[in-house]
Amino acid sequence: MTPGLRVLSASGQLGFGIPAAAFAAGVARAPDLIGADMGSIDPGPAYLGSGRMAAAPEMARRDLELVLLAARRLGVPLLIGSAGTAGARPHLDATLDMVRAIARAHGLRFRLASIAADMPRDIVPGARPLGAMRAADLAGTTHLVGQMGTEAFIRALDAGAEVVVAGRACDTAIFAALPVLRGYPTALAMHMAKIVECTSLCCEPGGRDAMLATLDADGFVLESMHPDRAATPLSVAAHALYEQEDPYTVEEPEGTLDLRGARYTAVDARRTRVDGAAWRPRARPTVKLEGAGPCGERSVLLCSSADPAVIARLPDLLATVEATTRELVGAGDFTLHPRIYGEREAFLLLECIAPTAARGLAVLGVLRQHLLHLGFPGRLSTGGNLAFPFTPAEVSAGTAYRFTVYHVAEVDALAPLFPLAVEDVG
Amino acid sequence: MTRLADLARVVRSKNAGPTLLTIDLLFDTPAQAARAGAVLTPAAVSALYGAPARVIAYPPGNAIKIVMARAIVAGDPGDRDVYGAQQHALLLEVPV
Repeated sequence: MTPGLRVLSASGQLGFGIPAAAFAAGVARAPDLIGADMGSIDPGPAYLGSGRMAAAPEMARRDLELVLLAARRLGVPLLIGSAGTAGARPHLDATLDMVRAIARAHGLRFRLASIAADMPRDIVPGARPLGAMRAADLAGTTHLVGQMGTEAFIRALDAGAEVVVAGRACDTAIFAALPVLRGYPTALAMHMAKIVECTSLCCEPGGRDAMLATLDADGFVLESMHPDRAATPLSVAAHALYEQEDPYTVEEPEGTLDLRGARYTAVDARRTRVDGAAWRPRARPTVKLEGAGPCGERSVLLCSSADPAVIARLPDLLATVEATTRELVGAGDFTLHPRIYGEREAFLLLECIAPTAARGLAVLGVLRQHLLHLGFPGRLSTGGNLAFPFTPAEVSAGTAYRFTVYHVAEVDALAPLFPLAVEDVG
Repeated sequence: MTRLADLARVVRSKNAGPTLLTIDLLFDTPAQAARAGAVLTPAAVSALYGAPARVIAYPPGNAIKIVMARAIVAGDPGDRDVYGAQQHALLLEVPV
């Protein structure tokens, strides 16, 4: 075990602009590893369902170039998880293409490993839905991924990889793999990873700047690479709550991180030392599964009303014109989802999910015209009930997606599910 | 009258996966957390949100966590808040 393993978390969301000054400060501390998370399920089903990246390509390239050049200059591993937002094959391929192009442009040579996270469909029937998830819809699933754990990154590092680009991965796995491989206690490695995967979000004030963790055999010290962000015992402890169902328990593919014994102690005004977490390995590993696919074409009607009489009964008026619309355009193949915002002047966003974009626009066009001129008792505004910020007020918002799988499966072994491919670049 | 918005340092909501919503309330002192905790019983929070809620005290962070099922899977047609980041507002005016 090397004393004082330094882990630099460059980004919790690569592709949206890594703050350069804090990252440079982190690189100057000679980290043993640079890690970056590139994805999440948070942005919704559209990215997984479509295979598209949430980040703009030019920003993804900019961030990848920043971390790749720094890691190669230092000669330390660069680990990137949940490539291309959702971490399915198209996301992974797009990210790998960017990495190869950056390598070519800068004449870099390194061993590149990619780890796919696309799951076989037959894993789903035995899996358990998470939370209030509906029954899985495999026929409606375009992409099905599983969250890989540390074992996948460790396999890649064992294969001599200097740059690892992984499909869908647990955020923790990116940062915990090397410490675990180097012999640090899994509990410490996981707890450290859980905190730094959001970079400086665990600080006061929180931010997106790079975060440095220094591990020893008994604990780790956290420090933001932005001088104005302080990792205090309270801010770090409070981060355990973030996006978690349970502040004391973190479920990982290979086991459970138990934070009940965790201690947070100030080193100075800007640094906190953490220890005391426990790790319970799982007898059979688990994989969290995520699937998504299209559920229709989305169009939206955007308009408003400033008339108090209209605003007061807008839900009723909508019900009336929805019935009229269904009578006129045929009832069956679309759904309508109105949202009304505001009170003095109400904004109406009406979402229509239909089989085609043209069909959705036809539905909303009929509905809009009828809502505009719908009479009701006490109506004064007989010129029209609505204001349109522009016309046409109905716009196509592209294909709509929904999550089709959000389940967890018990498996015999993780490795066969997350195949590794290694290539020498340059 | 003191409201939760006056007492808490942070009142934030966010998804914990696409099927769960979690709301964190962070306070500067254990006493403030206790004062809010006395008001934020599971029954009171469930009534406010119209959904069964769990309330978890988290002393290491002077914090209270609320967990409930999302009424709609994140990103489904009709969802109003894909990230679940604006579901905290109902709590702001709660008198403590």
